[in-house]
Amino acid sequence: MKPRPTSPARSGFALWAWGGVALSPCVARASRIGELTTNDVTAQAARFFTFADPSARWALLGALLLGLSCGLLGGFLVVRKLSLVGDALSHAVLPGVAAGFLWSLTKNPFAIFVGATAAALLGALAVEAITRGSRLPQDTALGLVLSGFFAVGICLVSMIQRLPTGSKSGIDKFLFGQAAAIGPDDLVLLAAVAAASVLAVTLFHKELLATSFDPGFATASGLPAVWIHRGLMVLLACSIVVSLQAVGVVLVSAMLIIPAATAYLLTDRMNRLLAISAGVGMFAGAMGAFLSFLGTNLPTGPFMVLTAGGVFALAWLFGPRHGVLARQLLHHRNTLRTARENTLKAVYHALETREFEGGDVTIPELAALRGESAMDTRRAIAMLRPAGLGDLDPASDRIRLTPAGLQRAGEIVRNHRLWELYLANAAHFATDHVHEDADEIEHVLGEETVRRLEERLDHAERDPHGRPIPRPTANSTRAQR
Amino acid sequence: MNALIPPFDPHAVFVVPWTSGLPVFGWVVLMGFLVTALCGIVGNYLILRRMALMGDAISHSVLPGLALAFLAFGSRGIGPMLAGALFAAVVTTGLIELLHRPTRLKPDAATGIVFTCLFAAGVVLISLFADRVDLDQDCVLHGELAQVPFEPFLRMGGMVLGPPSVIRMAAAGAVVLVLVALFYKELLVSSFDAALARCVGIRTGLVHHALMAGVSVLVVFAFQSVGAILVIAMLILPGATSSFLSERLPGRMAWSVMHAAASSVLGLHLALWLDCSIAAAMVVAGCVLFVCAWGVSAVRAALRQRFAGADNGEISGAGVIQGG
Amino acid sequence: MLSSPTSPSPVSPPLEIHDLTVSYHRKPVLYGIDLVVPAGKLVGIVGPNGAGKSTLIKACMGLVPVRSGWVKFFGQPPSRSLTRVGYVPQRESVDWDFPVNVMDVVLMGRYGRLGLIRRPSRADRDIARECLERVGMLPYADRQIANLSGGQQQRIFLARALAQESELYFMDEPFAGVDAATESAIVTLLQDLRARGCTILVVHHDLPTARQYFDMLLLLNMRVTAFGPTEEVFTSELLQKTYGGRLTILSEVAHAAAAGSDRRIP
Repeated sequence: MKPRPTSPARSGFALWAWGGVALSPCVARASRIGELTTNDVTAQAARFFTFADPSARWALLGALLLGLSCGLLGGFLVVRKLSLVGDALSHAVLPGVAAGFLWSLTKNPFAIFVGATAAALLGALAVEAITRGSRLPQDTALGLVLSGFFAVGICLVSMIQRLPTGSKSGIDKFLFGQAAAIGPDDLVLLAAVAAASVLAVTLFHKELLATSFDPGFATASGLPAVWIHRGLMVLLACSIVVSLQAVGVVLVSAMLIIPAATAYLLTDRMNRLLAISAGVGMFAGAMGAFLSFLGTNLPTGPFMVLTAGGVFALAWLFGPRHGVLARQLLHHRNTLRTARENTLKAVYHALETREFEGGDVTIPELAALRGESAMDTRRAIAMLRPAGLGDLDPASDRIRLTPAGLQRAGEIVRNHRLWELYLANAAHFATDHVHEDADEIEHVLGEETVRRLEERLDHAERDPHGRPIPRPTANSTRAQR
Repeated sequence: MNALIPPFDPHAVFVVPWTSGLPVFGWVVLMGFLVTALCGIVGNYLILRRMALMGDAISHSVLPGLALAFLAFGSRGIGPMLAGALFAAVVTTGLIELLHRPTRLKPDAATGIVFTCLFAAGVVLISLFADRVDLDQDCVLHGELAQVPFEPFLRMGGMVLGPPSVIRMAAAGAVVLVLVALFYKELLVSSFDAALARCVGIRTGLVHHALMAGVSVLVVFAFQSVGAILVIAMLILPGATSSFLSERLPGRMAWSVMHAAASSVLGLHLALWLDCSIAAAMVVAGCVLFVCAWGVSAVRAALRQRFAGADNGEISGAGVIQGG
Repeated sequence: MLSSPTSPSPVSPPLEIHDLTVSYHRKPVLYGIDLVVPAGKLVGIVGPNGAGKSTLIKACMGLVPVRSGWVKFFGQPPSRSLTRVGYVPQRESVDWDFPVNVMDVVLMGRYGRLGLIRRPSRADRDIARECLERVGMLPYADRQIANLSGGQQQRIFLARALAQESELYFMDEPFAGVDAATESAIVTLLQDLRARGCTILVVHHDLPTARQYFDMLLLLNMRVTAFGPTEEVFTSELLQKTYGGRLTILSEVAHAAAAGSDRRIP
């Protein structure tokens, strides 16, 4: 390559390069989207979604189809922890695209499809070969294939650009994606791949499930794990190649990973995961196509990805089971419950010292017992009220536990003392080591475990410190005397 | 096909670069060597820590960092770009941790989500705010390595030093090497066994973030010369090749440097022959060297098996009892 | 209804291994293993860490490449007899965040018999439920597997293997990290399987209990140190040979064994 003289300003323009790269094919193609004469969003939306515009129709349909196939296949990628394989393979297609281009010397979608798929499969084979045949870890193998194949592709591309017939815009489109350029031929390929994905996932559901969950056991059962993996890679390669045109090299892997990761955080069943993943994929695809349709010269891929990213963020925060807020809420609730139970325990101890005679416990008494201020104690008792465990008589400053509260108090104290006894006897802990452990465990022992402990300890009456182990039901009737 | 591959002129390909073309091609090879060698040295740690794809992630997510820096500072100088890149690296690693730590999401999925979203954000930023451009997309795909000799040379105290890219790369490289040497044992222990490192008192979190910052600095400097995606090859190829040639880290570092030198030179010749992008040709040459090293090590292993097989019956009792 | 295994032919033993050698990346892990396991026995595989115990099982199941030698199940090569073999891998081999519930996992045990594409039938589900019942996990059938304790996870792995309705079982450290109740439940299950005529090989890490639980022991340290009935094999000398010089508690145990004591080791 003969070096060309350049102005200094160019050396800092890496930044602009991306912009131009994303934009130039769009500029060339803007006319296909139709003349955008109005900036009114609702009018645009109406045009888009009522398919008034043929190229918009194709773009939307194409986006839905690619969302479907990427979502379905991505579901298996995420659970098999192959998320970054999509990224590696999508970069590895470049030499195939160039070779396909060279074959016909024009933009012939089938030639390019075949070339690109062959390159992706070769890439998948190379990853397998490197992982098995050397001690290099899988992520290194992926990185090598990604950049190595891409480099070969760049060499070919730069050689093609020298040719008089080498039309740059053909290659660029595949590198950086543009949904507006989807035509009926491309739709055929997209539909075929989407149909193949749906078929494969339905027919081979159990094989895919078993080999994803426990490949060792699946092989041992006689399932063809290696072939299932290869089949998945073939489908993945095809899906990547047909989606490249709309989304671009870097961002295809996003359409594989993000919808599937969203589904992973929302459900615990595989078939629901696949359905959600496909749904999110289609939604992101449609929104991406729509958003880029809104403005002039906007690339499609990034909008699809950002939509998917937005949905993922919502699931990550608000997911009912695995979302971060849900976990915080659970944690908070647990802390609250533990605090309430500790209050109950203290009240019980106070009552016990008096052998359940002499009326209710007062605030000052409890405060002294717990070594805290009266106000803190009042607050603690106030927390019992919403849970129906106890209440404060404001006139006399006396704490009244409800029957449920007394029962629970007895259970907590019983759990604590049982556990101490168990640790001291069965696990041979020194008696002065058992208290903290029991302080934590007392809140989480379930009834079944308690029964087993009682059996194990021969229904002992006293704990290591000589205090009686309560039998809650008996006590609650005693206290109400 | 004939038009595609130019006629092979041995003189132009092999002789010119080292004689009449030296003032130009010398700098090109030197820059290529510096980028590959420095990235390769740091990349050894990425391979050991199984974070090869963090290099991928950082090189992609540098884009929005650069975009923001440009929008914020309005200039394309090296200072703002570095700031933007470091900011991007910090945000990337932070977000990846944030995503997978508190949930059951796995790190590989988190990595993929973060860098693609950041990259998409970068492209959107650029499309929305910077749409009056005419430029050379080659720069991003595979850098402008060939442009390096034509930058106005830096002058210092009356001495002409060389192209600014090369000087900057060399300076950054020197800093990186010093840091690697200073923190050699911390890097080694935390790469090998993070739990042990924490027991010994090494702040593994700090080491991790410092390594990521170092990678992103190198990526920014290399970005302009070799493009975003080829830089990943520069990070991983030398280390992966050297893994076949040496079992110890110092040995691998040495082999990485040699691999960098060989691939730079061979890449130049390949590019001169095929008239293609120099950086891409250097990576292709590096891949060829990788395959050769792999072949050598496979042959060695096969030979060893054959000779080992001959004394199968003579395994000593002591060896067996010691256990595997 | 779970079927009992047919009585094995007197000619071909359930497991026959001949000159098996396995190596990982130039390091030998198993050397020249020869083994013939008779039917209806509960066999424990013991040996120090890195002795190749798990590898032996994986090599039999075809999960690791074999450098030389062969394995036969019931006189047939593995490819033709896999349906007669059940497998319980180590718990660590699986990602417990996987979006499946307990029932899904146990059903996977039936997949080997179904062939490609066919879905599990009502009969398969009934068998799966029965297996869950046998391990005491039927109430948990709809629970996602991440919310299970170690012992419960081990039980569903066992249930999955039971659903395979095999005659030969391989189990890789089924007692690792389980509570005492689960351990005795597993032992009862194994004895029940043996009573039905199954042959079971178990990789086990704990010597004192190995002596109690198994009819036969395989002492393994890259090569077969000894294989035979527990009483004959569990001697101080053979254990020393298998484990090298690192026996302290072990020599106590071996002495107790030699002395014929029936006391539980405290």
